This record gives sequence, structure tokens and C-alpha cells, in this order.
Amino acid sequence: MKNALYLAWKSLLWHRGRSLTILLSLAITIWLPVTVRLVLDQFRREISLRANATPLILGAKGSRIDLALHAMYFSATPPADTTMAEVESINDSSLGIAIPLHVRYRTQSRPGIDGAMIVGTAPEYFEFRKLEVADGRMMTLLGECLVGCNVAARMKVRPDDSLLSAPRNAFNLAGDYPLKMNVVGILAPSHSPDDDAVFTDVRTTWVIDGIGHGHQELNTQTDPQLLLKNAAKDTIIASAAVLPYTEITAANIDSFHFHGDPATFPLTAIIVVPASEKARTQILGRYASSQSTSQCLKPPDVIDELLSIVFRIEQLAWVCSFAAGIVTLLLLGLVVNLSMRLRAAEMLTMFRLGCSRRTIAMLHVSEIAILLLSASVIAAGAALVMRQFSADVLQSQLF
Amino acid sequence: MISIDELTFTYGDGSFRLRIPRLTLEAGRSAVIVGPSGSGKTTLLHLIAGILHGAGGNITVGDTQVHRLNDKERRLFRLQNVGLVFQDFQLIDYLNVMDNVLLPCRIHPSVSVTSELRDRAEALLNSVRMAEFRRRSVTRLSQGERQRVAICRALLLSPQIVLADEPTGNLDPENADKIVRLLLAETTRSGATLVMVTHDHSLLPHFDQVIPFAPFLERTVEGHA
Repeated sequence: MKNALYLAWKSLLWHRGRSLTILLSLAITIWLPVTVRLVLDQFRREISLRANATPLILGAKGSRIDLALHAMYFSATPPADTTMAEVESINDSSLGIAIPLHVRYRTQSRPGIDGAMIVGTAPEYFEFRKLEVADGRMMTLLGECLVGCNVAARMKVRPDDSLLSAPRNAFNLAGDYPLKMNVVGILAPSHSPDDDAVFTDVRTTWVIDGIGHGHQELNTQTDPQLLLKNAAKDTIIASAAVLPYTEITAANIDSFHFHGDPATFPLTAIIVVPASEKARTQILGRYASSQSTSQCLKPPDVIDELLSIVFRIEQLAWVCSFAAGIVTLLLLGLVVNLSMRLRAAEMLTMFRLGCSRRTIAMLHVSEIAILLLSASVIAAGAALVMRQFSADVLQSQLF
Repeated sequence: MISIDELTFTYGDGSFRLRIPRLTLEAGRSAVIVGPSGSGKTTLLHLIAGILHGAGGNITVGDTQVHRLNDKERRLFRLQNVGLVFQDFQLIDYLNVMDNVLLPCRIHPSVSVTSELRDRAEALLNSVRMAEFRRRSVTRLSQGERQRVAICRALLLSPQIVLADEPTGNLDPENADKIVRLLLAETTRSGATLVMVTHDHSLLPHFDQVIPFAPFLERTVEGHA
């Protein structure tokens, strides 16, 4: 066996072009289904982990999957908003803690760097997700934000830097001006979507939304260019030199205020942490009515629905991989057959020297075994490397 | 000693029939077989080596009755007792010089590559002035050098007999003469019997015994030589 392996190895090295082609073909054929399985397993594990760690999600009626993914991964914005009244209702009922989420805006992109989602929430969110500040401090004032570790690394942001929100609609002249947010801390890695988000107080996102604002005192500004026209005593027309973004500073924070009933302020989703199993059932029952304009989801159930779709995709991938495997094996058979014909003289020499046909077959089998083993090792290595990176990539691509 | 008695051999369709009533080759001597193409010279070498099995008659090499051996025994007999040199050398392209010489040790479970055999291979290469090429690919050797490697391979396991099938067929006269002298010298040194097939009559004076082969052929078909 040792000698057969030695001769097979020498032959493979000599015919290295052919060997490399077969090796890569086999490696890809093995790698594809293994990687699909590993990546999807990893994906399943991670998404289930996040879902299991999120007790209930409350939001406007509509796509269950969109709402769940939005609340857990800050993606797939729900078609309708819910309101702060739902948060107050849950909190007032003592059935649990309602954590508001307002996820509608992104930070402004930089050349080659996409902006990150801005998550407006309450301090309870950090306690609930066990997020810790690695550098800087927790946000306390309007206009302050905490940055996820991946965003900080990608955008090279540190405490005392600032981030600008991106307007949702560039043509909405009356709407959301960019808000300059002060970075007060960087979150420690949590290996979750929280690493890729910028967190701020929900009131800050309402400021971005245009619901809350401060007044820049144009009539007392030191820069006269800001004032285009002082038409009448109470009428001021600002010039284009007025800053095109809002910045909340110690000097103007007291001027910020909100118009309207806070209970009507919009939220995109609410995470509900029930006080008990009984409270959980009560909350679910409260929103089970068809008259309710909101829905309450159990994330694991919704994720199971999503995974059943993923499972069907996986089955399709398996069928494709199986077909590719058959094709590769047929081609391998053809190559081996042609190779045996080309090497007939060599095999005849070995036979004449005293080699048995079984040993000659062993030489061929050894070559195939070495190729298969090497291809398996390469495929397994590549699949493991892929697993490290692709689960995140898949997650970001899917959601 | 090689002794052949009433040996007959027929190819499948019966169009080629070889019959050798009696032929004796003394041990340690050299014999050359000459005859026209298709007269069965190569077939005879293959019968002696046990590569082919005769239809009838006896072939005895030393104490071994080759015609009584089964396929497995004939292969072992061939490996241990017969050194084969081919016209087109039949070296393995993907092995270097040393590995080609050691090839007989790698194709049968009864023999393995030992340090003694490595030393013998080294000595054989040294004796044919090929030691410095031991790591070189055989594809980078001249015809004469390749044949010298083939001779070393044939002699590695100290065979009783060396069967050389037109080993000079692809060589120029000068190299052909050198190869024959080398074969004779090496077989004489190891005490082996040398049986060589050739068309080149200029080489006949080098041998102890010349065997004209035409009388043994009953009917010929082109292509068997």
C-alpha cells in the first residue's frame, strides 16, 4: 500500500495540471454542499439564538416576518408605525417592560462606507441585550449616541466624534434635516446585529423625524448673513447660510421641544419583556383580537416560518449539489478511463516486470484516493473558513 | 540453465504457431537469438519469463519448471529471477532515475525498498556511470542513458537470467555496441544468463551462443516479432 501510494503520488505530481484540475473539481463539488450545510446551520443557530432571546415583539399589523426581522435585525421596515401609547399601555399595566424601537434612519455614508442604522430606543434596551460600553460612557442627553463596535471600526469613530443622520428623502424640504449626533461611547462586541447599529434615545430619532426641534435664534445671531429678511416684527426669513443640519448642544438643548401628544409619537416596533409567563399570555391575548391595530409576535415562531423557507432553499441547493456531484463523478470516470488508456504501456511494463493486475488497480485507486482525500481536506478547510465569514454575510444579504 | 523441451505456443486465432523441439541455454552464458521479424523471438522471451503461457511442452529455468507455475507464481518468479530489458526502455516518465531502478521493489508485496537495495541501485548506477543522474527525470536523458537505466533496473534483484528484447534497436551503432558490452559485463559480473534478441548481426560475435530462430516458426503473421 505504501509503495502504491508513493507511485500514485509521484504520478499525480508529474501530471500536475491534470491532477490540479481534478482536485479543484472534486474540492468544489464537495465544498458546495458542505458549505451550504455549515453556513445554514450557523445561520439557523444565530437567528434562533436572537429570536429566543427576544420574548415578544409588538408592532403594527402587517408582515409578521418583516416586523420580527425589523425588531431583531433593524431591517425590513414595517409598512406601518405603532405608537408610544402601546409602550405606555404595557408599562402602566405592569405586565412587563416595553422597550420602544424607532429604526427608520441611517447615518450618512462616507466614501466607500455605508451608513449604519440609527436605532432610537430606551436605556432598558442595553440592559435587556446585555450591551456594555467598552469606551466612553452611556448616553444621557438628547442628541447623544452610542456606536456599535463594527460601525466604530468601519467609520473610524471614537467618543467625542460626531455622526450625521441621513435624510430619508432629499426632496422633502419640510421634513427631516440631518441631525449631528455626538458620539459618547463605543459598545463592546456582542456578535449580534447590535454591533452594526448606532443607538440613540428614541426622542433623538423623533428630532430627526421633525417631531421635536429646537429653535436657532436667528434674530439674535451674531452672523447677520443668516438673516435674509426681517419682514416684520414677528416674521423672519432665514438665508441659505443657516446650517443645513440640526445640532443639539449644551447651549440650545433647552430650546428643544416636541409638539403633540407623546402617546401618538411613532415607533417602528416594541420589544416586550413580560413580567411572567402569565403576563406573557395576557399580552398575547390582548393583541390576538382581530379588531386590534397592533400585533404581538413570538419571535421563535416567526423565525421557524422563515427557516422553513430556508429549508426549502437548502433542499434545492442539495439537489443542485447532487447533480453537480454526479456530473463531476462522470467526468472523473472519463478522465480516469482516458488516463488508463494513455498509461496502458506503463501498466504493461509493470505487469511484465511482475506486478499483479490487483496492484495496478491499487495504483489507480491510490491516485483517486489521494485526490479525494486532498479535495475533502481542501473543501473542509474552505468550508470552515467560509462559515466564519459567510453567516454574517448571508445575514446582511438576507435582511 | 534454461531448458526448453517440445514447447508449443499458439496465438488465439491459430494464425501464429511456434514450436521449439529442444533448446538449451547454459547458465552464466550469453546467447543471442536472431531471426526475421514475426518469427516469434519476443514470444519466446515472454514464454521464458512467464509473461505468456505455452500451449504445451516444458520450460525449465534453473530448478523452476515455469510451465507448471500459476499466474501468481509466475509473476513472483519473474520478479525474483528474470531481468527484462526492452527495446523502447519502458522507463516510467514520472519517476526519476533512482526510482525507475527501484521500481521492481515497489510493485510486488514480496519485495520492499531496503537500504541494501538502495545501495545496490546506487552501485549499479555507478557502474554504468549514471550515479550523478540519480535524481534526474528520465525524460531528460539521452537514448543511451535511458537504456543504461533500464539495464540497472533489470539487474537490481540479481536475476538468474536477463532477457533483452532488441535493447539496441533504437540506438546508433556506437551506442548499440556500448550497451551490448555493458549488458555482457554486468551479467558476467553477476553470473546471470543473458538472452538477447537482435536484428543487428554485427553484434553476434560478442555472444557465446547464436540461435537462428526461423526454423521454430511454423506459420507467421506480421506484427509478431
